[in-house]
Amino acid sequence: MEQNEILKVNGLTVDFATEQGTVHAVRDISFAVREGEILGVVGESGSGKSVSMYSVMGLLADNGTVTAEKIEFDGQSINASDYDGKRSYEKTMQSVRGNTMSMIFQDPMTFLNPTITIGKQLTEPILNHTKLTKGQARARAVELMTLVGIPSPETRLDQYPFEFSGGMRQRIIIAMALAMSPKLIIADEPTTALDVTIQAQVLDLIKELSKKMGSAVIMITHDLGVVASLCDRINIMYGGKIVETGTDKEIFYTPNHPYTKGLLACIKNPEENDKDLVPIPGSPPDLLKPPAGCPFVDRCESAMKICKLKMPPETVFSDTHKSACWLNDARAEKGVNAHAR
Amino acid sequence: MPANIVKDEVVLKVDHLKTYFDATKGLFAKKQTVKAVDDVSFEIYKGETFGLVGESGCGKSTLGRTIVKIYEPTAGSIEINGRDIAGIKGDELKSFRKDIQYIFQDPYASLDPRMTVGEIIKEPMKIHGIYKTEEEMDARVSQLLRTVGLKPDHIRRYPHEFSGGQRQRISIARTLALDPKFIICDEPISALDVSIQAQIINLLEQIQRELDISYLFIAHDLSMVKHISHRIAVMYLGQIVELGESHEVYTNPMHPYSQALLSAVPVPDPVKGKEKERIMLQGELPSPIDPPSGCPFRTRCPYAMERCAGERPQMKMYGSRQVACFKVEEENS
Ligand SMILES: Nc1ncnc2c1ncn2[C@@H]1O[C@H](COP(=O)(O)OP(=O)(O)O)[C@@H](O)[C@H]1O
Ligand SMILES: Nc1ncnc2c1ncn2[C@@H]1O[C@H](COP(=O)(O)OP(=O)(O)O)[C@@H](O)[C@H]1O
Ligand code: SF4
Ligand code: SF4
Ligand SMILES: [Mg+2]
Ligand SMILES: [Mg+2]
Repeated sequence: MEQNEILKVNGLTVDFATEQGTVHAVRDISFAVREGEILGVVGESGSGKSVSMYSVMGLLADNGTVTAEKIEFDGQSINASDYDGKRSYEKTMQSVRGNTMSMIFQDPMTFLNPTITIGKQLTEPILNHTKLTKGQARARAVELMTLVGIPSPETRLDQYPFEFSGGMRQRIIIAMALAMSPKLIIADEPTTALDVTIQAQVLDLIKELSKKMGSAVIMITHDLGVVASLCDRINIMYGGKIVETGTDKEIFYTPNHPYTKGLLACIKNPEENDKDLVPIPGSPPDLLKPPAGCPFVDRCESAMKICKLKMPPETVFSDTHKSACWLNDARAEKGVNAHAR
Repeated sequence: MPANIVKDEVVLKVDHLKTYFDATKGLFAKKQTVKAVDDVSFEIYKGETFGLVGESGCGKSTLGRTIVKIYEPTAGSIEINGRDIAGIKGDELKSFRKDIQYIFQDPYASLDPRMTVGEIIKEPMKIHGIYKTEEEMDARVSQLLRTVGLKPDHIRRYPHEFSGGQRQRISIARTLALDPKFIICDEPISALDVSIQAQIINLLEQIQRELDISYLFIAHDLSMVKHISHRIAVMYLGQIVELGESHEVYTNPMHPYSQALLSAVPVPDPVKGKEKERIMLQGELPSPIDPPSGCPFRTRCPYAMERCAGERPQMKMYGSRQVACFKVEEENS
């Protein structure tokens, strides 16, 4: 583990047992998160963004199994034997996770109990995990509410979740996520359900707080505008794989993978009114029987014979920029990638 | 690319429309009214896409649903092709129901899971009795499936066998089954992946070019709305506060609310996106049960003046733009 890496994941695979067969949701992915950075995870829905992060958190559906070569969090490693069975894995993860990893979901109500006051929900974990008295915990809750920009926190602590708007609830979740000054926050589409004006406020809040408290953030989103304005580095996922990774500038200015290029083309054109959009044809692969080769092969304009047969190896462009595509192989016919912009 | 439009042919005319809901809680409670649409006027031309944007709860869907007669207007009028829809009955109502269609946001909820794709698309044809034989209907279904980019042999499959984008194509095929003249698209791409959104937008544009259909396109993704629309209206708390050519409104919004809304759109560029200055709105969206007096935006507007609380600003023309704001009025007088 490199010095400044807070999370390191090697060879993570997640399968789900279903009536139709095994869903290969995440297939042998590796990534790392550095202290204090904001990492974006972008990709088609169903590409494994949530599942990969939930398994790192030890939150997995009952029909899921995890395997990995290595998961290291904050210098603590999880042993191979810990992956035997869901129970032991979750237990290990929960103890490793402790107070130092938090999660923010798309729908704040999955996290808030509608029948308990916001104040109680905020102070409970503080009381459980620290030696603070009730009064001190309440003071800390007021501090957190102020930090996330909720006006008159003293009175609002005694209110119930339904008395808050969607944006305010998401702020409360962020306040809860911050209560323990976590080293890593995983945010799963935290602004997808919010209006743009509220989204802007929540994103600014996440950015500012991550800076102030030095927390690393993994931001799962499908909105390229959100990643561009928030993230330092970006992983692009497709069909259970990370197909490209790079800094914000590498991904947006020198994308390599045809899926990344396709995504950027989809959002670039609306800016130019007089041009037709360039969509990516087709739809994502069925993860019950994922392709043996490149997951993008059915939708890729540059696909070659090899792409269907073998998973492309990773090509390294810089310390930070990597992409898995056969076009980078010296043997690829030149001109096949002519559509690349 | 949006199709060319014929400006002198008005398809839809909405005039001082109000749709209020009764929100009174109990028998002895004080009467409360949600002013979901509160005095809205605009026209849509033949072959035009008219974009409607604004935060959730501002009344976009209520406006769309009032136009298709799901809701009764509280006041004002709606004319389709010059005909007031308030009093229409019988055959005229039937042909109205045929000419105006509605596409919903959620392609999962709007298709009956127990029906095959063929049955789903045929249902409106049967209700309106436009074809006599099954063969004629089958032929039309195949043609429609091809129009929306699906295969004719999909006709016997069920909705769950399709992806989100494909399901939205099925609902578009169903919508087209009756040769409508006007389609209300209520956030038709919000639930779809970015790569699929572009497919649906292209499809809607292609259909418009071929069939000369007009769209009322409701959305909260402003860059896509701008791409597909000829003109855009910005709504706030039940009112239209700005209306103009889509490119002009997008690049140079005049109303303080439009300015804030557009400044909040994240830019998909790592340098510009991180540098972008945002106009942060203070406070929360007021309740439509008890909207502010005067200008609806005054509780959050950085430029609010005394006058803004006393009277409601009316829509005024500035070139090709209409804006309802006293500040804009004063700056341009
Ligand atoms: N409990 C489960 N059982 C079966 N399949 C699942 C389960 N949870 C997720 N999946 C499947 O795993 C894949 C990845 O899901 P997810 O990580 O949620 O995607 P996303 O990238 O949209 O977050 C999807 O195909 C999804 O249907
Ligand atoms: N059937 C209804 N009865 C009562 N209130 C309604 C009804 N439909 C919508 N509203 C209210 O009207 C307002 C506008 O809603 P809507 O038109 O759905 O907004 P939008 O589509 O812009 O999100 C909201 O305050 C909403 O709660
Ligand atoms: S490996 Fe082949 S199919 Fe996959 S993205 Fe590259 S060219 Fe396309
Ligand atoms: S009328 Fe007044 S409150 Fe309303 S937008 Fe204009 S300046 Fe702001
Ligand atoms: Mg997800
Ligand atoms: Mg709506």
